Amino acid sequence: MLFSPGVSSIKRQVLELTAVDQKPGFSLPADLSADRPAERRGLSRDQVRLLVIDRYADTVAHTRFDRISEFLAPGDLLVFNSSRTLPATLIGKARDLALAIEVRLAELLPDGTWLALLRPVSPEKIEDVLAHGLILDFERDLSCEVLNRDQRIRRLWRLRFSKSGMDFLDLLYRIGQPIRYRYLSAAWPLNYYQNVYALQPGASEMASAGRAFSWKLLLRLRGQGVGSTSITLHTGLSSYLDNELDRQHLASEEVYWVGEEAANTIRRTRDSGGRVIAVGTTVVRALESTAAEFGGEIRPCHRYTKLRITAGYPLQIVKGLLTGLHEPEASHLDLLAAFVQPETIYAAYNEAVQRRYLWHEFGDLNLIL
Amino acid sequence: MQLPESIAEIFMKRLAGKFALITGASQGLGRELALTYARQGVRGLALVARSKEPLEKLQLEIDRIAPNLKVAIIDADLGSTKDVERVAAVTLAACEGRLHILVNNASTLGPVPMPYLLDYPVEDFQQVLNVNVIAPFLLIQNLLAAMIDQGGSIINVTSDAGRVGYPGWGAYGISKFGLEGLSQTWAAELAKTDVRVNWVDPGNMNTAMHRDAEPNEDPTAWADPAAVTDIFVFLASDAGQHVRGERLEAQSKWWAGLQKG
Repeated sequence: MLFSPGVSSIKRQVLELTAVDQKPGFSLPADLSADRPAERRGLSRDQVRLLVIDRYADTVAHTRFDRISEFLAPGDLLVFNSSRTLPATLIGKARDLALAIEVRLAELLPDGTWLALLRPVSPEKIEDVLAHGLILDFERDLSCEVLNRDQRIRRLWRLRFSKSGMDFLDLLYRIGQPIRYRYLSAAWPLNYYQNVYALQPGASEMASAGRAFSWKLLLRLRGQGVGSTSITLHTGLSSYLDNELDRQHLASEEVYWVGEEAANTIRRTRDSGGRVIAVGTTVVRALESTAAEFGGEIRPCHRYTKLRITAGYPLQIVKGLLTGLHEPEASHLDLLAAFVQPETIYAAYNEAVQRRYLWHEFGDLNLIL
Repeated sequence: MQLPESIAEIFMKRLAGKFALITGASQGLGRELALTYARQGVRGLALVARSKEPLEKLQLEIDRIAPNLKVAIIDADLGSTKDVERVAAVTLAACEGRLHILVNNASTLGPVPMPYLLDYPVEDFQQVLNVNVIAPFLLIQNLLAAMIDQGGSIINVTSDAGRVGYPGWGAYGISKFGLEGLSQTWAAELAKTDVRVNWVDPGNMNTAMHRDAEPNEDPTAWADPAAVTDIFVFLASDAGQHVRGERLEAQSKWWAGLQKG
C-alpha cells in the first residue's frame, strides 16, 4: 500500500518496548487525553488526526481523518457499529439511608435485569450497604432492587428496575447522563457522545472509533465506491473504576446483532475481493464471533459474545480496523496484536505520543490496514 | 383469480410496511395524519406531543382502525434539545432502526394574542425558533441514519406566513421562513441520496392553533384538517418518490405537475 508523505519505516527501529503480555510498551502522559470533542477544539468532527499503520509493510503514516479516503479503495467495505449511546449514568438514593449512589449501566441481560457498576457519589464506603434487597430510588418514581453480585466481574451488581422496555428507555433519557471520565474539561451533553450514523439505543459508552465520521465524509466515500454497512453491538463499560479489575481485561459479555443486509453486503465484498474494514474493536468481535460459529461465514444472527481476540488469532473476515488510541493496559491493545506485530503497534504509539496525539473517546484515531 | 377482500385491501394500502414519526400528533393536522397513515397501512407510528393523555386517546382510536399497528407515544417538549434526543432514541428503538416517513408538523405560535415584533419578548422568540426550526433540524439530523439506506420521505409543515411577512405574525412567521430555508438546504444536501425533503403549506385549517392566531375570523370558512391529508399520503408513499425539494400547497391543485413523466 502506498502512503502519502509522512511515512517512516519502523520495522528495524530499536525499541525500548516489551511484549504485549508483559509490561505496557509505552506510557501515556496525562495531558494527552482529549478533554473535549473535536468541534470544541476548533476542528470539525472529521478533522482529528489519523495514525495509519500498514499491517503488511510495518510502516506508519500520519494524516488527518478527513483524508481517510486516500487509504481506501472502491469495493472496500466499512462496517460500523450502529449502537446508540445511552445516558447510562443514574444517581439514586439508597432507600432509608442518607446515601447517594451512582449507577453505571453495563449490560441488559436477557431476563430484563441490568448489570451495573455501583459507586458512592461522595467518598464513602458503600460495600457494607450493598446487598441483596437494597432498594435505590431515582427521580420520577423510578426505583430498582439490588439482586446479586456478578460472579465474573465482582464490581457489577444485577439490578431489577421498576420499569422496563420503552418506558424504561424513555425515563432513562429523561434522568440519565452519559458516562463521563475524569479527564474531561466539562460535562459534555449526550449528543456529543453519538456517532452520526447511530441507530438503536443500547451502548453504555459510545462506540467511539466512528465518531470522526461526518455525513459529508460518509457521502463522499459512498460516491467513491467505498461501501458501508452496520451491525449492532451494545458496548458495556470501558472501565470498572478499579485498577486491579481493569488490568485483568475482563471484557463483559456483549449482545450483538448482524442483520441480513449486513451479512449479504459482507459476503458480496469478500466475493469480489474487497476489504472488510471494522470501525471499532466491537465490530471485530462481532464479525469474528459470527465467523467462528458459522465456519468462516457471516450469517444474520443475534448472540452474546465474550470472544477475546489476541495476538495470533486467525482473523477470518476483518482485514482492516479503524480504532481509537488505547491505554497501555487496555485489552483492546491485545486485540490490535491480531492485526499487527506488537512491536509495530508500540513504535507507532510512541510516535503518536511524541506527536501529541490525543487519546480517549474524543481523541485521534488509528487505521490499521 | 379474485383475491379475498382483506388481502386486496392490504395491497391497496399506500403506506404498507412503513414506519412513520409525526410530531404535534395530539390535535389538528397531526392527529388527522396519524389516523390517515394508520388507515393507509403503516407498520409503525411514533407520535409526539406535549402531553400524554390526548396521545393515549388517539392510540385507542388507532387501535380500532389498525389493531396490529405498533404505536409508540412520546410526550416531549420539542423546545428542549434533550427531549428531542429522547424522541429520536425512543423512535429508533420502536422502529428497530428503520424509519421511512418523518413529518415535522409540531409548531408553536408563541404567546397569543401574537405581539408585534416591537413588543415580542426575546425568550418567547427563542422558544418559537426552538420548537419550529431547531427541533425539525435536530430530528432530521438524528434520524437520517435510519432513513438513508432504504430511502425515506421528510415532510415539513410550513405556512403562508413562511413566505410573506405579515404584520402581527411575529416569531411564528419568521420561524416558518427559517423552516423553509432549512428544508431547501436539507433537500440540496441530500440530493444524491434516497431521502427526499419536501415542505407543505396546508393552507387555512380549522384548528385550535389557527383559531388562536386569528380569533376574529370565522373558522368555519377554513378547511377541516381531515380534508388536506391526501398530499401527505402521496409524499410519504412510493408514488411520491420522484418529488423532492418542492414547496407544495395542500389546498391548491398540488397533484397537477407532480405526475410522473
